[in-house]
Amino acid sequence: MSVQDVTARIVGAEEDRTPAAPERGSRRPRPARRLRALEPLLWLGPALVLILAVVVWPVVEMVRTSLMDISSTGLTRGFAGGANYTELFAEPDLPGVVLRTLIWVVGVVTVTITVSLGLAQLLNARFPGRRLVRWALIVPWAASVLMTALTWRWMLNNFYGVVNRVLMDVGILDKPVNWLADPVQSFAWMMAVAVFVSLPFTAFVILSGLGTIPAEVYEAARLDGAGPVRTYLGVTLPLLRPSLLVAAIINVINVFNSFPVIWAMTRGGPGFSTDTTTTYMYKLAFDNQDVGESAAMAVVNFALILLVVLVYLRVVRHREETG
Amino acid sequence: MILASFKQNKSLGCSEGRYPVKRHLVGSAAGVALALVLTGCGKGGSSGGADADGKTIRFVAAKYDDDTQPYWENLIKDFEAENPGYQVELEVVDWEQIDSKVKTYTQTGQQPDVLNYNKFSDFARDDLIHRAKDVVSPKVLDDFLPIFADQAQYEGVQYGLPFISSARLFFYNKDIFDKAGISEPPSSWAEVEDAAEKVKKAGDIPLGLPLGAEEAQAEFSIWAMNNGGGWTDKSGQWAVDQRANVETLDFLQKLTKAGLTQPNPEATNRKDVFNQFAQGKIGMINGAVFMRKGFIDTVDKKLNYGVAPLPSKDGTTHNTLGVQDYLVAFKKDEDKNREAVNKFLDFFYQKKNASKFLSTEGFLSVTKSAGDALSADSAYYKPFVDALSGARFAPTGNPNWATVEGAVKQRIGTAVSSAEPEEVLSEIQKTAEKDG
Repeated sequence: MSVQDVTARIVGAEEDRTPAAPERGSRRPRPARRLRALEPLLWLGPALVLILAVVVWPVVEMVRTSLMDISSTGLTRGFAGGANYTELFAEPDLPGVVLRTLIWVVGVVTVTITVSLGLAQLLNARFPGRRLVRWALIVPWAASVLMTALTWRWMLNNFYGVVNRVLMDVGILDKPVNWLADPVQSFAWMMAVAVFVSLPFTAFVILSGLGTIPAEVYEAARLDGAGPVRTYLGVTLPLLRPSLLVAAIINVINVFNSFPVIWAMTRGGPGFSTDTTTTYMYKLAFDNQDVGESAAMAVVNFALILLVVLVYLRVVRHREETG
Repeated sequence: MILASFKQNKSLGCSEGRYPVKRHLVGSAAGVALALVLTGCGKGGSSGGADADGKTIRFVAAKYDDDTQPYWENLIKDFEAENPGYQVELEVVDWEQIDSKVKTYTQTGQQPDVLNYNKFSDFARDDLIHRAKDVVSPKVLDDFLPIFADQAQYEGVQYGLPFISSARLFFYNKDIFDKAGISEPPSSWAEVEDAAEKVKKAGDIPLGLPLGAEEAQAEFSIWAMNNGGGWTDKSGQWAVDQRANVETLDFLQKLTKAGLTQPNPEATNRKDVFNQFAQGKIGMINGAVFMRKGFIDTVDKKLNYGVAPLPSKDGTTHNTLGVQDYLVAFKKDEDKNREAVNKFLDFFYQKKNASKFLSTEGFLSVTKSAGDALSADSAYYKPFVDALSGARFAPTGNPNWATVEGAVKQRIGTAVSSAEPEEVLSEIQKTAEKDG
């Protein structure tokens, strides 16, 4: 499905409107009412078509591919049933990869949101040059993530990297460390980079949330004698809940699907020791030459993230109701 | 299609830094699903296919270096001038992306007419490509050197068209060797170890051992074949976990643990150590014929290095790893493209055109005629050409090789760092025995 097709359908949907146009001046009430009942469809139509084409159809295709037997050339050889899934769950590396994905998502999102809360507070304060600082924070967002990841890879290189240089000059290290060769170290560094690139968006979502809190509430809190900590915990945080919710969900989804940071910095290696399900999925398709199994991984990935987000929403709503 | 959109989702342009903010997130699962896909970027439009008259063909070429694109553009210009009415649409793809691109094309039925690639046999197994004799003239077919034509067969029939070849030999830095007091390049593994100890004492990195994902299969294969090991046994059955291979990894692990290699071979790619050798930082390395053109000359033309046979366990027989890339011609509806493809391929394999590619890119010839044309500049190339006559190749005629190669690239490096060689090899063997 190409973009052209979508537009073609949208145009088609808009053309449908023409017969409805004279309806306003029509004297025949019955068909007119029937047409009027269909009117919402005209307005929703383009969006529905778009959603079907861009959202639903790829998901259907993904599931379908995961049930196919696909040759290493990419040729579809027929229906495979659950074979791709059986193969996937038999992969000895899968449990480690899934566990690492969880650490990756929980770690990166938690740190990102915590740091962003502080950053947003800072950006919300009035100080000279605030506009400049706000702009500066956008830079890591505007730069391509791949570029950022590659830059970090070079900074961490054990021969030429500036990180080793600085640490050695300061006297913390006496010989260079190959940061990206050790699974634990490199994973920690990559999480740091993932946090770095996620900060701007998260900070701005929270900043906009801060902007919606009316000044009167703070005034009331002050009159009631609340100190800064009490005000923050009792007023700011609860009122930020909608922004935090959006920031958390979108971050979970994006961090879960994050590919360029890991791919550019370690390619998931050595072995599979820094892979998440997303990079593993790529390796299944293009190193193991198994597109079907890779699609199965994609379906599992999709299900996992859906589950995570639904559980999160449930928990938040539950807390809202009880709290 | 799913592959395309899946690839697009994961492709590098779509970053977690860019979030379309959606207001309707809170709530239903449908909303979540929507956001899931929306944040994954969309798929771009598809490129146009072949034309109706069969006179326009699509050619996807691998990018060897920056000279590749201009070479093909010139060649195509000449071809189109000589064959009015015929057209070639060129697409030059980086080696890093070509696998995913080719798979996507195949899965969506958009195969190019001609592809320059490093594999052919799984296309042949899936009946996607023409036999060699159907797309080049008998003269060209005869011109291929037998050693390469043999490696282009699937079940006894030649499908691949040998394109370029490369051979690997042992490179050593003479200045570093002098400094360490070594007079001769090592011939046996014991001598490699000995020389490495001396270089280490003199303060340089002794041996470059690239077992990172880029070309780990080649590096391992070089050491293994010089210990009597290899990918298959004599009957052609997969034998990745054979004794000789385990011993090879044991030896490489020993060198690594003793600090006789660059740090972390499992995370080092070939181009990294080739570059470091060119910068005069590494004492010895399993080099390739394109080292001089691609690495050394661009960094330091005066680098004082020597080229020797690849060291072997016992130091008596020395095997060379040969590598070749292919051109393959895809079958399109009712052979309509065959005449144009045939014309284009015959044009490329003309002596002057084929040899120009080789000298542009620094590779070795796969045809007799181009090999003769290249005899100038032979002092550097001669040992490689000589070594090729007895070279061993990866089992590219086996359709499962692509899968095995992928597994080796991912796993073999861990055998010198964290994992046990025996377990790593048996895991790869399991992959090899699975069906493609």
